[in-house]
Amino acid sequence: MKILVPVKRVIDYNVKVRVKADGTGVDLANVKMSMNPFDEIAVEEAIRLREAGKAEEIIVVSVGPQQAQETLRTGLAMGADRGILVKTDATTEPLAVAKILKKVVEEEQPGLVILGKQAIDDDCNQTGQMLAALLGWSQGTFASKVDLGEGTVDVTREVDGGLQTVKLKLPAIVTTDLRLNEPRYASLPNIMKAKKKPIDEKSPEDYGVDVAPRLEVLKTVEPPARQAGVKVADVAELVAKLKNEAGVL
Amino acid sequence: MSVDLNSEEQAVIGQIERFSSKVLVPAAAEIDAKSRFATLHRPALAEMGIMGMNLPEAYGGIGLSGPALYCAVEAIAAACGSTASMLTAHFLATDSLLLGADEALKQRILPAAAAGEALGAFALTEPMAGSNPADMRSTATRDGDGYRLKGSKCFISNAGEADFIVVYAKTDSAAGARGVSAFVVEPARIEGVEIGRPEETMGLRGGHVFPISFDCHVPAENRLGDEGTGFRTAMKVLDNGRIEVAAQATGIARAALDAAVSYAREREVGGQPIGSFQGLQWMLADSATELAAARALGLQAARKRGTGARYSRDSAFAKLYASEAAWRIADRALQIHGGYGYTRDFPLERYLRDLRIFRIYEGSSEIQRTIIARDLLS
Repeated sequence: MKILVPVKRVIDYNVKVRVKADGTGVDLANVKMSMNPFDEIAVEEAIRLREAGKAEEIIVVSVGPQQAQETLRTGLAMGADRGILVKTDATTEPLAVAKILKKVVEEEQPGLVILGKQAIDDDCNQTGQMLAALLGWSQGTFASKVDLGEGTVDVTREVDGGLQTVKLKLPAIVTTDLRLNEPRYASLPNIMKAKKKPIDEKSPEDYGVDVAPRLEVLKTVEPPARQAGVKVADVAELVAKLKNEAGVL
Repeated sequence: MSVDLNSEEQAVIGQIERFSSKVLVPAAAEIDAKSRFATLHRPALAEMGIMGMNLPEAYGGIGLSGPALYCAVEAIAAACGSTASMLTAHFLATDSLLLGADEALKQRILPAAAAGEALGAFALTEPMAGSNPADMRSTATRDGDGYRLKGSKCFISNAGEADFIVVYAKTDSAAGARGVSAFVVEPARIEGVEIGRPEETMGLRGGHVFPISFDCHVPAENRLGDEGTGFRTAMKVLDNGRIEVAAQATGIARAALDAAVSYAREREVGGQPIGSFQGLQWMLADSATELAAARALGLQAARKRGTGARYSRDSAFAKLYASEAAWRIADRALQIHGGYGYTRDFPLERYLRDLRIFRIYEGSSEIQRTIIARDLLS
């Protein structure tokens, strides 16, 4: 079975995000970029399935600028077999990405598509679901456990108030939550070997998808700075404040 | 990041930075406080492929360029000086084989060393030889199918856990430097190698150094190259080693400067951050400039690594400047932290203790000046 893992190049989770002075977006100049952490979990899960003998080939695909090739290389260094770069400098919105991924799925015929549940830049949490809808496939979102059977996959989902396990018919879409696994570090030799693994370069036009944004960003602002706390003299004062000011007691 | 690096090498350095901050940084203070041998990180380093990153792919390494290796060592030292010291001592041993041994010996030792299965040590320094290794007293005399190795070595990093030690000894006592040969000694396989307790040191307290004495038989196939080539091998290895020492000093200084910059932003006196005072700003500016200069000299030497050309002067520039500048940078960083910098709650005093040896080992600052002056005047 083939597994397709879409990965996104995002601002590194360690970077302190700064809003551009004109409010049109986030400043990305000279900022460290990395693979979306949820996508790393997706790559790791795919590798584990291959190591368990349940999959033969892992393909990573990214829709984004030329530099998204580095993100694909990260996936290849972790253990994916080959990559597809769908190159575009447009701002990519979930629906456009899902439409492109649908075409990639139709070409590659994977048995499973594993995606991060959301990207840490725009936090949309839509691509996996949209792809499932476009393909008419089953979906298991927010996975904390993936158990691949014969023709089916059991996905344990992190839902409000607990865990829910669903059995999906393959082919299916799985989106990963934080607790699914802990991604491995790619070793240095594997990073060097990744450069020899093939990456196909495509464009949205190759798939006949119009990626022009459907949304308009009105403004981007920093979250308000946290107010300083208040020191109280004793427990009585604390209780009084919680009762009268905060209204939580 | 250096412009010398290709995209794979940049990814390698990025991964080392990430690994270092998650694995090495959290253990660094305890390694120092309890003098724990930094070999505790060996399994993790081996899994990452770091133990062999100085070697070409043919021997299990990854074929990094000189500048990439420089950046890699700098990143590891910024996280934990003791670990970098243990690692680069291993590199001195494998580099000795790479530069001096025949193919059979390389194939027998290097792949296991690159995989981190075998730990190496480099034994050149002797109690009575000081800074001139040609004064060494250790001897290797023909004995049956091999050599009888006799003598003692001191301050040998990693020796206590080493699977193989590259030992330099005289096969011809009358021939000076040309009488030196190098041998692979595998302490677990032979009788007559005594390794003492690790020295109590001021800094790099997790990079253990040991005294060794030998009275043992070494098979002839364990000799690196021809008899009499050992000194030349050692000098080539030390050209490389000095770049790694420079990279380590620069890495520790980088960590000290980073700490000073964050502290200057956060620490408030009289209602404003101390970084708003010009006196302190100038200290930071001097440190950043010296750090950049140290790195530039390190990379200049590193570009010549592996080209076949000798580059003793470049590597002496790099080692001398980085070790002296790093000391000043860490000292200023501690000063910026005031009394807190002097406590063990902050890493500044550790950085300073760790850095002191860099002005001494692998050729003291004075020896580096001698190398440079000789090259100028010759």
